[in-house]
Amino acid sequence: MSDIRPLSANERIKENSRFLRGTIAEGLTVPQTGALADDDQQLTKFHGIYLQDDRDLRAERGRQRMEKAFIFMARLRVPSGILTPAQYLAADKMARERGNGTLRFTTRQTIQFHGIIKSNLRPLIQGLHTEMLDTIAACGDVNRNVCASVDPWRRAGHAAVTKLAGAIATHLLPRSRAWHEIWIGEERVSGGVEEDEPIYGRTYLPRKFKIGVALPPHNDVDVFAQDLSFVAIEQRGKIAGYDVIVGGGMGMTHGEPETYPRAGNVIGFCKPEDVIDVAEHVVTMQRDHGDRSNRKQARLKYTIDRIGLDTFVAGLNERLKTRLQPAKGFKFESTGDRLGWAEDETGLHHVTLFIENGRVAGNARDGLREIAGLDTGRFIITANQNLVIADIPAQAKTEVAALLKQYGLDRQAGGLRRNAVACVALPTCGLALAESERYLPSLIARLEVELEVLGLDEEDITIRMTGCPNGCARPYMSEIGLVGRSPGLYNLYLGGAHDGSRLSKLHARDVDDEAIVASLKPIFAAYATDRKAGESFGDFVIRAGFVARTIAGLDFHENLAPALRN
Amino acid sequence: MAQTVLLPAGAPFGADQISALNSVFSTSTAEQRAWLSGFLAGVQAANAPQQAVPAAPPKARAPLTILFGTESGNAEALAARTRKAAAKLGFAVKLVDMADTTPERMAEVPNLLLIASTWGEGDPPQRAVDFFDLLMADDAPRFHRTRFAVLALGDRAYAQYCEIGRRIDERLAALGGTRIVDRIECDLDFEAPAGTWIDAALDQISQEAGETAAEDTSVIHVDFARPVADMATESWTRTRPFEAEITEHVRLTGSRSLSDTRHIELSLQGSGIAYEPGDAIGVVPRNDPALVGAVLRAAGLDGDTALRAALRDRYDITTLTAKQIEDHAILTGTPRQTPEWAAGRQVIDLLETAPHRFTADQLTGLLRPLPPRYYSIASSRKAVGEEAHLLVAGVRYETHGRQRAGVASIDIDEQRKTGDRLSVFLRPNPHFRLPAEPARPVIMIGPGTGVAPFRGFLQEREATGAPGKNWLVFGHRNYLHDFLYQLEWQDWIKDGLLTRLDVAFSRDQPDKRYVQHALWDARRELHAWVSDGAAIYVCGDAAAMAKDVHDTLIRIFDKPALDQLRRDGRYLRDVY
Repeated sequence: MSDIRPLSANERIKENSRFLRGTIAEGLTVPQTGALADDDQQLTKFHGIYLQDDRDLRAERGRQRMEKAFIFMARLRVPSGILTPAQYLAADKMARERGNGTLRFTTRQTIQFHGIIKSNLRPLIQGLHTEMLDTIAACGDVNRNVCASVDPWRRAGHAAVTKLAGAIATHLLPRSRAWHEIWIGEERVSGGVEEDEPIYGRTYLPRKFKIGVALPPHNDVDVFAQDLSFVAIEQRGKIAGYDVIVGGGMGMTHGEPETYPRAGNVIGFCKPEDVIDVAEHVVTMQRDHGDRSNRKQARLKYTIDRIGLDTFVAGLNERLKTRLQPAKGFKFESTGDRLGWAEDETGLHHVTLFIENGRVAGNARDGLREIAGLDTGRFIITANQNLVIADIPAQAKTEVAALLKQYGLDRQAGGLRRNAVACVALPTCGLALAESERYLPSLIARLEVELEVLGLDEEDITIRMTGCPNGCARPYMSEIGLVGRSPGLYNLYLGGAHDGSRLSKLHARDVDDEAIVASLKPIFAAYATDRKAGESFGDFVIRAGFVARTIAGLDFHENLAPALRN
Repeated sequence: MAQTVLLPAGAPFGADQISALNSVFSTSTAEQRAWLSGFLAGVQAANAPQQAVPAAPPKARAPLTILFGTESGNAEALAARTRKAAAKLGFAVKLVDMADTTPERMAEVPNLLLIASTWGEGDPPQRAVDFFDLLMADDAPRFHRTRFAVLALGDRAYAQYCEIGRRIDERLAALGGTRIVDRIECDLDFEAPAGTWIDAALDQISQEAGETAAEDTSVIHVDFARPVADMATESWTRTRPFEAEITEHVRLTGSRSLSDTRHIELSLQGSGIAYEPGDAIGVVPRNDPALVGAVLRAAGLDGDTALRAALRDRYDITTLTAKQIEDHAILTGTPRQTPEWAAGRQVIDLLETAPHRFTADQLTGLLRPLPPRYYSIASSRKAVGEEAHLLVAGVRYETHGRQRAGVASIDIDEQRKTGDRLSVFLRPNPHFRLPAEPARPVIMIGPGTGVAPFRGFLQEREATGAPGKNWLVFGHRNYLHDFLYQLEWQDWIKDGLLTRLDVAFSRDQPDKRYVQHALWDARRELHAWVSDGAAIYVCGDAAAMAKDVHDTLIRIFDKPALDQLRRDGRYLRDVY
């Protein structure tokens, strides 16, 4: 068997990086370029930092005898999306002083800072670190930010899942001190033993790895889109344990059918005390079996389809202290957030704010800063890019409500808009093929006109858009998915489940603004007249035959309408 | 494409001669023509004295020392021309730069003609500071053996107009010197009044020296407004500029930059202009047509098309001087505006204070001639051939509710485009040159457009293979949008030509960071470089940057050490 394929370039970079150091520290002091060395650009991802450039400016730069307008994106590590008001204030300050003045809540419940020039990177990270925040492993071939359902009004359940998410995050955090040395200026202990990565090893994982913890019936963290998920199983008011889901993932490449999004498989159940062990060994299975030659086949979802789910689970069980039990089963209702105020049994108040595309700028930014200045409650970012201000004592509610009103933060949105998610895309993301965040709001405005005519404007319908097929906004898990193909053109996917349990299917290829509206208009009309009671839009389009049902990742590209077959 | 040079039919030659000369010119290179021009001028100069000098030359030639203190080069150029005129009159002339002498030595001189410019807010030219300070000191030497006259150069737009010339004049008299003629104070249009005054001064010195016949009528009148073409490089002047084609005109600053800085490439083909890195190009600009219209309307002269053209091309219709305020008050019979009122205001504001119908002569009588603007050349001929590159930052600002525009910068940036022509002439800057020793390290501090000459320096050092190390300190507002010539510095760093680069961008972070902060951070390396013989160059804004850099260099090196570097020609500034 000539099965020995060369390792991908990233494997060599990791191997030679001295545990993620590379020459980043030296590169930061080079004044003539706003970029870093090629290899270091891969390594900074492990520190939560991406080198990007302002693509709006690309065309003019050549004439101006300047290099690309290089800027960095930095992403926080915030397990469960929970920040103290002081931490939020630090983030706001750094965004204004060192970034482009905006904060971006992400689909992984964290904050991204955009438009940071190289000389501002260290001051930004140090400013965040003063409030015990860091960006370690927010990107890179490691376990990324751990997500957890945001239901703080369910006090015990929320406390349990967020505590678990925090424990998983800590257990899977790289041990390397590189981040502290490079960004904070920690001295290396001279003569000390070189650190090791007991879980990851010198070359970390073959590809990124994502974990979510959900509290049914709320599937805000999209458990079937994660590499690994834990779904809380409540029995007699207590969490008895977690059903385990493996092998979800969104990314694919246009025109390469061997790449596909995949919904995870439920493989069993474990007790709360065994969760860390399960997490560690799903990670080590992927570490040992993942494809390190082809990064487009390296995610856990491909590992599982390659070696087979049964083989994978058997291998996993061999590594576990306690074998998985049969799954208990769970029921989800939705992936979206419920906007507005809620009160819990202890009398604390919680308010969920609609933050369109998670972009915090202008008035909203100033308002959130004022509220954080009250130093009350917690700021929790949701996987739908919204914000919950949790644990507000009754006596502070009036003041918070007044500020929300003053800054327009109590804004409501229709059924489509409040269930919309968009990735950042242009102008900063290097992968974007088309607009996303800057375009989706106007598309929704057009669709809202159609929905209102049909009396559907308050129906909860999920719509998600990404500027490329890598799927940061989890578009293939949405009832309406739009994935950028080239400037102004998108692939339209339909038929994802409203509760996030089923992938969607391609409905139209390379459609522009006009054609998207034209495609959806008759389907909305049919939904208005022909739906069954309680039938979601995603289920309806399958029953009505607009698209075929996608059963698993491997049939995502199958069963297309005749006109779409290549 | 070489430009075909043909003699006009009216040239003072016969038809055969014209044809013969044309056949030579049409196949000549610009270099050959420049050489020929210099050669003929030299022959002319060599023969001239015999025709001009009086029939009976003085037995012993009277000594005359012409002492100048120069910043922009005007005083120096004027001194050089005065020397030529004095030599023709038979004086034994010495030309001395204040930078190279002391009051002690000058006190030994019997006949002293001073040409002193005033810089900024009443300061002496940088290189004349030592001389000036010694002259003003308590222990200054007595000048009782010296007969002197002072020509003061200045700019009426500044409050301390001709301050340095005035103070030197008064000081020499107080120290016992004998004034030959009264001091003259000259504005930007100094050529004609200076010429007349120099004629008179030389005449007076001649008579008092008794060396030349008082009745001698063969005194040469020197027309300073039209200097002789004794060098190819001086053949183009403010009044007779070369029309250079703009071959490239690109904006270097990003679309989100707060400034609009253009890279301009001029073709000098056929001009014979042979600049050195460090030199400047004088640009004869045109006024903004919209402002010309506004001035004409305010003066009640809207319909005068000839005047419109004159105002556009020949008069300064922006700068407001105290003299203009006074003249305007008299002309219109209105109260005189105060200096406080005048701050930040221009000619148009003055005209609009009192509706008045002027005659064309009254209006032009009120206005000063349009001065040229000078731009440091951002190239080396050894790298770019017969081209000169300029870096032009568009000046726009608002005062007193009115948008103001820099005359030349906005003319170049916005009115001209590739293929247009620009009226230019060379202004040499002999005191801002690369070290004569190619191995000497240089430290170049040039934020903003101040970086222009250093691009020329680096091109020159690359082309000549100079082994000396090169260190550039650049600054601007935003790294992303204002990093002028970034890719070129990157290439030169890669090639090893640019040894070190430091940058300071003021608006990228909460605390303002400027080049002086970068210098302070690098103070240890600066000491090391200077110990290795490095020369320090500073170019750019005089008001804030050069002063802050100077103060920081004093903190780093201490004042005596920095003064010594300056005296050794290792601390050179071209600031404006």
